[in-house]
Formats: sequence, C-alpha cells, structure tokens
Amino acid sequence: MTSDVILVIVVGAALAFDFTNGFHDTANVVATSISTGAARPQVAIAAASVLNFAGAFISISVAATVANDVVNAAAITPTIVFAGLIGAIAWNLVTWYFGLPSSSSHALIGGVVGSAVAADGFHVVIAEGLLGKVLIPAIIAPLLAFVAAGISIGIAYRVVGKQRPGIVSRGFKYGQVLSGGMLALAHGTNDAQKTMGIITLALIANGSLGAGADPPFWVIASSAAAIAAGTYSGGWRIIKTTGTRIIKMDAAQGFTSQGAGAAVILASTHFGFPLSTTHVINGGVMGAGAAKRLSAVRWGVAGNIVVAWVLTLPAAAIIGAVTYAVTSIFGSGAVGPVLVTVAALAAILAAFVRRAQRGAPVTVQSG
Amino acid sequence: MPVLAEIVETKELVQTVVFAFVAGVGVTVIFSVGIWGVARFIDLNQEERSVAAGAAAVIGVLALLAVAASVVIGVVVMTGK
Repeated sequence: MTSDVILVIVVGAALAFDFTNGFHDTANVVATSISTGAARPQVAIAAASVLNFAGAFISISVAATVANDVVNAAAITPTIVFAGLIGAIAWNLVTWYFGLPSSSSHALIGGVVGSAVAADGFHVVIAEGLLGKVLIPAIIAPLLAFVAAGISIGIAYRVVGKQRPGIVSRGFKYGQVLSGGMLALAHGTNDAQKTMGIITLALIANGSLGAGADPPFWVIASSAAAIAAGTYSGGWRIIKTTGTRIIKMDAAQGFTSQGAGAAVILASTHFGFPLSTTHVINGGVMGAGAAKRLSAVRWGVAGNIVVAWVLTLPAAAIIGAVTYAVTSIFGSGAVGPVLVTVAALAAILAAFVRRAQRGAPVTVQSG
Repeated sequence: MPVLAEIVETKELVQTVVFAFVAGVGVTVIFSVGIWGVARFIDLNQEERSVAAGAAAVIGVLALLAVAASVVIGVVVMTGK
C-alpha cells in the first residue's frame, strides 16, 4: 500500500515534469517559425502541441534506454525516482525563471543519477550507458546540428541566391511549416519517451512490471498528453531567447536550422539516444547564423546558454541527491515524498507569484 | 575498466551521424532546388519562355515531391522500430 502511494506520487511528478518539459523545452521548437514570421505564435504552438502528442507514439527506443541503461533498475526504488524527478523539475523551473533554455533531458537524467547515488552509491550508475548513450551523444548532437545547418544554409543560399528574394522567402516560410512540424514531431518522440522511461523505471522498481519491460500504453498516452498540454501552455520567455536573441534569422535560416535539428533528433531517437532537444535546436540555430556571418550570432547569449547546459547535469543531480536525503529522514514510507511534494508545490507557487509581481512574462509580441 | 571504444556504441553513433547529416543537408538542398524551380518558372513564364518555364516547373515539382517522400520515409522508418 505504501509503495503504491509513492508510485502514484512518482507518476504524478513524472507527468508534471513532462508538462514542464513541454512548457519549457518545446517553446524552442516553435521559436524559429515565429521569429521569421512563418507562423503566428498561437498557430505554431497549437500545431507543435498536436505534433508532440503524435510524436510520442512513434517510438519507444529512448524510453528503453532511460529505463534500463542509465542506472541499475534492480537497485532503484520509487522514492529514488521521485527524488530524481524533483531535482529535474526544480532545475527546469529555475532555468525557466531566468529565461534560459537549458536541457530538460539532462535535468531528468542528472536528477535520477544524483538521487540514485545518494541512496546506493556510485556503483548503481551504469557508467557505460550514461557515457555511451547520454554524455557522448549529448556532445556530438548539437555539433552535428550546427555543422549540418551551416552547410545546408551555405548551399541553399548558392542555389536560390539569384532568385527574387520575395519568392524565396515565401517558399522557405512554407517550408518552415514542414520543418517546424517535423521538429515538433521529433521533439515529442524523444522527450516524451524520457518520461515514459522514468515511469517505466518506477513501475519496475515497484514490482508492477518485470525487468526490461516496455512502457504500457497508458504510460505512453499519458506522457504524450502531458507534453502536449505543456507545449500548448507556452513558454514565451524562452521563445524570445532562442528565436531572436541568439541570431536574427531569415526564413531560409529558420528552415535549415529546423530541418537539421529534426534530422538529428529523429536519427538519434531511432537508435535510442536520449538527446537534449534544446541543445540540438540551439546548435542548428547557431549553425545557420554562423554560416551567414559569424557576428550574426550573439555569442554572449549563446555563451550563457552553454553555461546553463554545462551546469544542468550536476545541478539537477545535487538537487536530486538532497531531495533523496530529505525524503529519507522520514523513513522509507510515503510521508517523505508527500511532504516534499507539498514543499515543492509551495515553492512553485511562490515562484509564480514572484514572477507575476515582477511583471507579465516577456512575450514575442511585447519583446 | 572498459576502453572508450567499447563503451560507446560506435556503429550506432556513426549511423546516427550519417543519417542525420544526409537527411538534414539533403532535404534542405532539395527543397532549395524546389524553390529555385518555382522561382524560375514564375520568371520564365513572365518572359513567355514556356519551354524553359515548363522545365523549371518540372524540376521544382520533382524536388518538392522528393522532399515530401523523404519526410514520409523518415516517419515510416521511425515507426518501424
């Protein structure tokens, strides 16, 4: 009974994380379409929401990696998963508060690794999986998007360079409907699967599923719904950072950055690599900008984003570890997770109130 | 202590890089050719050079169809695993 209560809290926290992922992360997906004028914000966000939902159903490779290849599932308890989720949610909200597009994925993996280490020591971490399936792809993927977007935009400018700008711009804006859609689909399939993987890990830890099991349908459907709802709720501060502060983009750059990002995320998802979609999208944006003119990229803003990326894994891991330590003060029952959940909700409410007192969120229209 | 080459799933990582690069660059280039074809069709048509305009239109349409086909193939491959 106690473990079932904890499991319910874990599933709730995981879906809340998925919601914040959509709220925080998916804004990046629509930023380029909005900043180039290819789509109106409301339309872009609604479409991204639907495609994120659809994307969640097309693969489970990443979910399998998160559930089985990062930490030893046999040593994990639902309380460890809960503490890791709190670490990820807390870091997501901190970076949202300051308008930085950090990686929700790395926050999630960092949080779970941190809480698992706090509970059982470093031996519970599957170093091969963490390094080979998370950390190395995390370095390669944004660089790949950067290079692919840079080469693409260089060739695209050569192909259409002598044509009338109006027609070319309109063509690429139409193209952004496709590339933006593919990026949203790609985002949904990679990011929603991380939540599926975490819930599956909790179900395995609780004994509700056997080791190595795939996510049940209700897990897939609820994860898809949560990320879609989060996406629809927006995330204007981060749209502004990615869409206009890194570079000023034209439609061709928007198309190439989205196309390169979607290709990298979809290919990685196919092979089960739980990428940071944020890193990849920003890599594509910077590649498309740098290929046109190095000074077009606002490297100071890009540097701040890189710092947030570097901090994410260790910061979420520390918060996850502290959360586990606090939770375990109250024993192995449901009291700890319940109290931490109440405290987390209070902290979230305080953050929103403080944000509201400091003025309305920055929007694309107002910014 | 396993060496890095054993830890990293090199084959899958290389395939990811190749597929992503080919798809990312390829689709953009083909789409650009599609836009080029449409733009040339409009200009040549206004100049009443109908044969050249037709050729440009065919190139443009084929390129755009290729883009659509590659997107469909990509999604089918994803759902197949």
